[in-house]
Amino acid sequence: MQRMSRTPSVLHFLARTLLGKQEQEQLSGIDFLDEGHGFDIFGLHPDWVKGMVAALQPLYKHWFRVTGHGTENIPARGPAILASNHSGMIPLDGTMIYSDVVLHTSPARVPRAVTDHFVPGLPVISTLYARCGTVGGSRGNVHALLDRGELLLIFPEGVPGIDKDFRDRYQLRPFRVGVAEMSIRHRAPVIPVAVIGAEEQFPVRLRLPLHTFGAPYVPLSPIPFPLPVHYHIHYGQPLHLYDGLSAADADDPVITAAAAARVQESVQALIEAGLKSRLGVFI
Amino acid sequence: MSAVLVTGATTAVGVAIVSRLLAEQRASEVLAVGAEPYEAVRSLFPHPGVIYLQADLSHPRELRNLLFSPVKQHRVETVIHTALHRSAHATGRRVHQLNVESTRELLRLCERVPTVSTFVLRSHAEIYRQSATEPELLDERHPIDLSVSAAQWQRDRAEVDLLTCASIGLSSLQIRVLRCADCLAPGTGSQLFDYLQSQLCFQPLGFDPMLNVISLEDLSRAFALAITATGSGVFNIPGKDTLPLSEVIRKWGRTRVPVPSALLSPLYWLRNRTIGTDFRYDLNRFRFHYSAVMNGSRAAEQLHYTPQVPIEWPAPGIDRG
Repeated sequence: MQRMSRTPSVLHFLARTLLGKQEQEQLSGIDFLDEGHGFDIFGLHPDWVKGMVAALQPLYKHWFRVTGHGTENIPARGPAILASNHSGMIPLDGTMIYSDVVLHTSPARVPRAVTDHFVPGLPVISTLYARCGTVGGSRGNVHALLDRGELLLIFPEGVPGIDKDFRDRYQLRPFRVGVAEMSIRHRAPVIPVAVIGAEEQFPVRLRLPLHTFGAPYVPLSPIPFPLPVHYHIHYGQPLHLYDGLSAADADDPVITAAAAARVQESVQALIEAGLKSRLGVFI
Repeated sequence: MSAVLVTGATTAVGVAIVSRLLAEQRASEVLAVGAEPYEAVRSLFPHPGVIYLQADLSHPRELRNLLFSPVKQHRVETVIHTALHRSAHATGRRVHQLNVESTRELLRLCERVPTVSTFVLRSHAEIYRQSATEPELLDERHPIDLSVSAAQWQRDRAEVDLLTCASIGLSSLQIRVLRCADCLAPGTGSQLFDYLQSQLCFQPLGFDPMLNVISLEDLSRAFALAITATGSGVFNIPGKDTLPLSEVIRKWGRTRVPVPSALLSPLYWLRNRTIGTDFRYDLNRFRFHYSAVMNGSRAAEQLHYTPQVPIEWPAPGIDRG
């Protein structure tokens, strides 16, 4: 006898109370590869995605007042990579991109955020992230996702991006070449993403040198909440890094380094344009 | 159609393989090898095509007699080796002899029997290393757990797999190693099955990994397909069901009790001491924290195996013991 998976009622409650009718309709069409019990192979469950987007609504809509620009640049289907700058001490930028993409793509696409290696070892967070579509940053995982035509969300700067001092805001740390390698190998377009606002959410930061569960440090701030900065998320034109190349070229370090630099330049250009066009940090 | 030798034939997996080979007419006759006397296992093999042979594979002499007498006489072409000590608590030289040395010897002897051309090993998904940094989708190149702290149950399984893999290319035999997902059925040596025998299933607090489990039907079908395939290789054999541990517990009609990870070892040690079950938390610590799902694309391409039969989850109110 087949029994359907049971999701916590709090998720349904969150979705009912925090999402409008239009958003609920949008989220009812989440596209995912069900392995037979309501979960995909990495543990994603659409009810959890819905619950997470609903739980993030107060931040997304009211606190950060997120404005997305250019979501039409995200392909409706097929493998693709969102490559974004990373900032803000804690990964709220990732959650805002996540909500923005789920709410503004048709059919709703769940960006599969690729986290650092230590995240799958974190209790509670690892499970919550997995149910919402996040995967550990191993090569095998990302290749499997692209093979399945998924949309990846990658922060090519990694932890050094989110760990920047306030004075270094909006200056990208060197991009890792993995994003270029994956794009070439899987013929997946890269959509450069610039998040404007997150750099100012925690202007004062402290790092506790604790390596609990493998984390590089524990972030702290004397400000208990992030400042209510206005988030602008800019999605650039897709970069077809694989044009004129074969999958085997993904192994060439010169080619991948050049492609990664191209992605970094595109993100930096989007950041510059985004900073010029915004009216103020909180407006 | 030729004769097939199946070791470990009196286990649930062995019986399922023997029955399927004959039912699907993939073998003219099956030489079923078990440690028990025939009278004790007669009812397991009603098909007239089964020839039961009692042998203790840990004795090299008995192994030799088996290979150079009935195997030769019945012109056996394929050997399916599933015999492994199932108890997770059994340790020592004798267990190692059955698990590892008998496999080494069996492989060596099979090469010397002119009729035998194919050797199929039942290996296990549990040999794969699992950690926060490893991919969740396991292909055949995934690292094997060779840690010195691993229990003999795990080390023996890894060694059997690797020694068989090492023979691929060195041996004249066609060797196929089937790394099978956990078979959720009694008598298969499944740690997960034993875990689910308790009404209360303790789970690491804050972790709910994805698991893949296989039914006995799919497992036996994979072996039936493996004997007719060509070439050598290693194949992951996944099951139809991929779901989180919490769902496995719920579907089995058990109560899930999240407990801080540090308390699980003593709790299951206590359970073993008081109830005497075979489940060992130390063998399952990593799989209860980190997701591990078999990637079966190689088996799909080369063996034409794709999982079809899901686990028959117990109906509500019916105990599955």
